[in-house]
Amino acid sequence: MAQVEKFHYDNGIVRNFAYATMLWGVVGMLVGLIIALQLVFPSLNLGVAEVTYGRLRPLHTNAVIFAFVGNGIFMGVYYSLQRLLKARMFSDLLSKIHFWGWQLIIVSAAITLPLGLTSAKEYAELEWPIDLAIALVWVVFGINMFGTLIKRRENHLYVAIWFYIATWVTVTVLHIGNNIEIPWGAFKSYPLFAGVQDALVQWWYGHNAVAFFLTTPYLGVMYYFLPKAANRPVYSYKLSIIHFWALIFIYIWAGPHHLLYTSLPDWAQSLGTVFSVMLIAPSWGGMLNGLLTLRGAWDRVRQDPVLKFMVVAVTAYGMATFEGPMLSVKSVNAISHYTDWTIGHVHVGALGWNGFLTFGVLYWLIPRLFNTKLHSEKLANTHFWVGTLGILFYAIPLYWAGWTQSLMWKEFTPDGLLKYGNFLETVTQILPMYAMRAIGGTIYLTGNIIMVYNLIKTVKAGTFIGDEEAEAPALEKTYGVHKGEHWHRWIERRPVQMLVFSAIAILIGGIIEIVPMVMIDSNVPTIESVKPYTPLELAGRDIYIREGCLGCHSQMVRPFRSETERYGEYSKSGEYIYDRPFLWGSKRTGPDLHRVGGKYPDSWHFNHMLEPQSISPGSIMPPYPWLIRDELGLESMPKRISVLRTLGTPYPEGYESIVFQEAEKQAKQIAARLKADGVEMEDLEKKEIIAMIAYLQRLGTDIKPKK
Amino acid sequence: MQPGHTIRAAHNLHHMFKYILESAGNINWMAIAALVTFFTMFVISAALVFKKDVRFVQHMASLPLDDSNPKTAETEANHEA
Repeated sequence: MAQVEKFHYDNGIVRNFAYATMLWGVVGMLVGLIIALQLVFPSLNLGVAEVTYGRLRPLHTNAVIFAFVGNGIFMGVYYSLQRLLKARMFSDLLSKIHFWGWQLIIVSAAITLPLGLTSAKEYAELEWPIDLAIALVWVVFGINMFGTLIKRRENHLYVAIWFYIATWVTVTVLHIGNNIEIPWGAFKSYPLFAGVQDALVQWWYGHNAVAFFLTTPYLGVMYYFLPKAANRPVYSYKLSIIHFWALIFIYIWAGPHHLLYTSLPDWAQSLGTVFSVMLIAPSWGGMLNGLLTLRGAWDRVRQDPVLKFMVVAVTAYGMATFEGPMLSVKSVNAISHYTDWTIGHVHVGALGWNGFLTFGVLYWLIPRLFNTKLHSEKLANTHFWVGTLGILFYAIPLYWAGWTQSLMWKEFTPDGLLKYGNFLETVTQILPMYAMRAIGGTIYLTGNIIMVYNLIKTVKAGTFIGDEEAEAPALEKTYGVHKGEHWHRWIERRPVQMLVFSAIAILIGGIIEIVPMVMIDSNVPTIESVKPYTPLELAGRDIYIREGCLGCHSQMVRPFRSETERYGEYSKSGEYIYDRPFLWGSKRTGPDLHRVGGKYPDSWHFNHMLEPQSISPGSIMPPYPWLIRDELGLESMPKRISVLRTLGTPYPEGYESIVFQEAEKQAKQIAARLKADGVEMEDLEKKEIIAMIAYLQRLGTDIKPKK
Repeated sequence: MQPGHTIRAAHNLHHMFKYILESAGNINWMAIAALVTFFTMFVISAALVFKKDVRFVQHMASLPLDDSNPKTAETEANHEA
């Protein structure tokens, strides 16, 4: 027996991440509430660029995913990793750099996103300098984690740690893969891939942000904290091994289910569907493993708020992972996609699974870090019921809204015409549901604030144990596989092998889906008449990205009669070959815009952007007065053109020198048409709105027969 | 190395892989191979997992319950299981 060593767990870093989780949880949910209210009361957009829905929506998603859940992950990892390995974290300095680096990234996101500095890729909106910072901090976290693994005192790695390792390696791969871009400004860039290829890479990332940021690390947290709170071992350790390997292998393939019925080739869509349906098996294996851990302890679930939160969290995980595969079936997706059904679905996961598990862990952890009792169990129980009610009030109206709107989009009259030809009718119909969702969000946030109060009182009543005493025998080095030893024990002792095997498991899916897509031209048939954007259109497109228009408008007409009737010819992959980044969107709060070019006169767009309600009474679109007020900046246009040429857009050599004349010529034509329609304004041709109109009028026109 | 060179080199590499993949013909076999690989691995690992030694499994499952820190009367009173 090796000598017993005394050491200390670092609780300071756990406490810091716990505080950050509490703070960013309130902030992220508050921004969510604001944008939910903006949908009901568009005047709350205030006519101010920085607080308009399109710019705040990515702030909400990023804050909740990377700030609230992100800090929640690190809180759980830093607490459990030290105890499972019977060792203090590898380096206190790296822990500090990790903590402050991550908070700095969050703050820079909170500044840049409202400023409209976005790459337009959902959940990867942050621009290249912040991407680099994320990579750096993530590596620091990795070194700290693997350093701790190396100096551990426990020979075998518990299943929670495999989930942490798989998370680390997969997020690394995803973050790099989806952010290969060339800068054209201090905070602006164009991605390597275009159109359908960019879409596939983005949703390979996007889905796995859900899988490997919102799920796998939290499963690790579940596998540690649930047995801890219930004071009994996990129901089946064997099941957890199968859960782990099956989940990480299958999850990575599921991305294309975000692109069903789009221009993505059928083979890739089918792969996405098949693997998404298969996902139900490992997901439910893990969910049942969590719930069955409480066998024989259900009497305690009735009293203990920690267990209550955890039980609902695991149940929400089960519901979301049943619904996910179902939504990936093409015929269901035809109804659900672009509607609020998806928003309802993700919030069952976010509010139920991530939110409630985080709350459960916080209620368990804070009293232990401060060596005291929870200030008020009664308040925690109140929070539980308020939170549960909040989830119901949030999700049910959105399911209702999604079904209602989708059925309205698809309804025909006996004469074969769309019953609701005006898209707006399908929006005003669901506004009461949007109002109820905002109430649900308010209730949920109220619960969260009750928790913060309760935990602050707890902290004040206790004494913080920064360095918690512990003792364990030193690790005895054993080499080689013993005769008759189980194969998995070999992996469980070796973190690096675990890292390599996890990487192989997740790379197989990514490589098989993405490589053929990028390499083989026949996947994207080119269309002779599709030409690169003019400088003015490109400037307009970059404004479209800046304003986050894709938060509410898709650019992808699916091959359904209800869509071709409403929007026009369905979208072809060859139409997007110059789209860097792709802007297909994932939600239609407003109508699809892929065929909007030439549909309305220029003056319609001018007045609509200035005051949407004057053109479409009852519209919930925000006004964009600054587009009409602000002058268009074209200084960086030559750089943008040259970056795009490097990436493969066939702008002729030397085109940079004439971009200003080209833009001016086109701007004057648009300004003249606006003047003819009665728009009187000084220097009209120099305003941002002109570029926006140029882009919108170009959309989808390449394959239209010219008049 | 100039950025232009790097991009050209990547371009050539792209063409090489493209040639290999195109000459492979229909690439559906890749998807099927992946599925078969998965099922094979899944069945084998499931079989092996269920043959695991009971004592070892119990040791692994109980890891979260051992904090290795000496309990005091105070912590016991605050956090009874």
